[in-house]
Amino acid sequence: MIVTNGLEKAYKDVKALKGLSFHANDGEITGLLGPNGAGKTTCLRSIYGLIKPDTGSAAVDSIEASVAPLEVRKRIGIFPDKFGLQERLTAREHIAYFAALHGLHGDARKVAVQQVIDDLDMNDIADRRTSGFSQGQRMKVALGQAIVHQPQNLILDEPSRGLDVMSTRILRDLLFRLREQGRCILFSSHVMQEVAALCDRVVIMVAGQVVAEGSPTELCERTGQASFEDAFVQLIGTEEGIML
Amino acid sequence: MKSVFMTVWLKEMKDALRDRRSLMAAMSYAFFGPIMMAVAFMMIIQDAVSERDVYVHIEGAEHAPALVDFLGDRRIFAGSEEQQARDIELHIPSNYQEHIASAKPVFITVRADYSERSDSSARSRVESALREYNNTIASHRLTLRGISAEVIAPIRIDKQDTATKQARAAMILGTVMVFVLMAIFFSGMNVAIDGSAGERERNSLEFLLAQPVATHWLVMAKAGAAATFALAGAVLSILLIPLVFIFVPLEKLGIDFSISFVEQLSMMLVLVPLAAFASILQLFVSFRAKSFKEAQTYISLVMFIPVAIIFAVEFTRFEHPALGLLPVTSQHRMLLNTIGGQDINWLMVLAGAGVTVLATAALVAVVTRMLRSEKVVFGL
Repeated sequence: MIVTNGLEKAYKDVKALKGLSFHANDGEITGLLGPNGAGKTTCLRSIYGLIKPDTGSAAVDSIEASVAPLEVRKRIGIFPDKFGLQERLTAREHIAYFAALHGLHGDARKVAVQQVIDDLDMNDIADRRTSGFSQGQRMKVALGQAIVHQPQNLILDEPSRGLDVMSTRILRDLLFRLREQGRCILFSSHVMQEVAALCDRVVIMVAGQVVAEGSPTELCERTGQASFEDAFVQLIGTEEGIML
Repeated sequence: MKSVFMTVWLKEMKDALRDRRSLMAAMSYAFFGPIMMAVAFMMIIQDAVSERDVYVHIEGAEHAPALVDFLGDRRIFAGSEEQQARDIELHIPSNYQEHIASAKPVFITVRADYSERSDSSARSRVESALREYNNTIASHRLTLRGISAEVIAPIRIDKQDTATKQARAAMILGTVMVFVLMAIFFSGMNVAIDGSAGERERNSLEFLLAQPVATHWLVMAKAGAAATFALAGAVLSILLIPLVFIFVPLEKLGIDFSISFVEQLSMMLVLVPLAAFASILQLFVSFRAKSFKEAQTYISLVMFIPVAIIFAVEFTRFEHPALGLLPVTSQHRMLLNTIGGQDINWLMVLAGAGVTVLATAALVAVVTRMLRSEKVVFGL
């Protein structure tokens, strides 16, 4: 369960967040949809406590990121905006490293790592060094790092960029599986179809504020548009920065 | 939280050990220093041991054949076509014989550029040969007049050198210690950069900082990995020193070089806090850089400071009580005293180590603060 309340953040003369409030429930996939520069990444970073909002709060399972960032981070898995791999380590070593940082050691760690490798269908690349990995393979490693400790909440920042069809399917299947396990999944995107296909709830944000919230069908009904795409365009009031 | 330290340290070590090229580059400092010094010593020894002929310009040699013979006995000759004379001119006046016969002073001119360092030993050999000849004639004259030559030598100097062979060794081997200290600052450099600016460059810093891990443990583990390499470099060069000097005939310089394993071990121990200090300093600098390249530029500028300090202290022999306490200089002093066979003030060594540890802790705190700042992490 992730709740933000009146988040505000300014960088010099730019206001990235202007009182952002929304929530993402357990057992649901919530999409944070907005054009480029809407403040999606800033919002996600303040949820896991790397950015301190000027006012407002972000809480994961009722724990405030600004009060107890380490507690919050234990409960979330992160697929960040940018993820880089250490070229000289294998995929398994990457995942095991982050498992250890989450306090898993010894046999428990081995089991957890193998579990993730099976889940993501990456046994073929698990013991190869990551230099020369394709974008899809890199994504799998990053996902594995994010979920090896079986977090209750998963935050993904534009997870599908640069992925081919097969990798997108793996990602989608993983998210559905995690939803069935009752986990809370929040992901940001500016890709319309992706959000429409994956999300139970959509939070549409423009210029650091929420402009609409609800399921894709609800949003269509509210705007009187037949397609989600038209609904979205009407809601944000411009076509700028949207990928159709 | 100790396990966090071990986890990060192990991962950094694994990553660094797999990077063969930078590993070799790092350790080459350790090899390079002692071997270069050994070669330099061999050349110095050859120079000092073989007294070579000196060729100078002698003007008016025909006026004083006896003097020229005397100089010849001292291996000082007039230059010729084959043997180019040095820029030292000896001018013997034409009234030489006349003045000698009538016991009047003769003015012999020695013209040379006295600021020219490469000729200095040749100049002093010429001068001392002339002085010696002067004394010989003087004592002959006195003897002829029935006076003992001892009358004009009321004081004799008896030089007794109390410098132990080890102390003399320290003068020269101190230079080797400079390389040991430099190994500390250069062997861990790549690891430090890779764990900081490299982490940022490959976009893995944000994810790492978003883990449920206290930042100071991350910082300490990263510094620890770099320090391990720094220390490995220094240990390697300390172990190499006695091996290299087996092949250098130091005894010809009157230097007796010996170093026990216990001494080597205590040197290594003293360098442990310095390695930590050097590494955290490198992290501090390279966390501010946006890329590996940028970090390398900054670090080589910053690393110039300790190296300059070491060289300054080594070559000027500047002494101040504070030097025994500061990082770099306190360790340098201990290394010098060890190799010179002097007594070591272990209290001072301990105090120096304490100051170094404190400085390291302060830098850990600063770097931790830096990593909590959005500005530094995201480069905003």
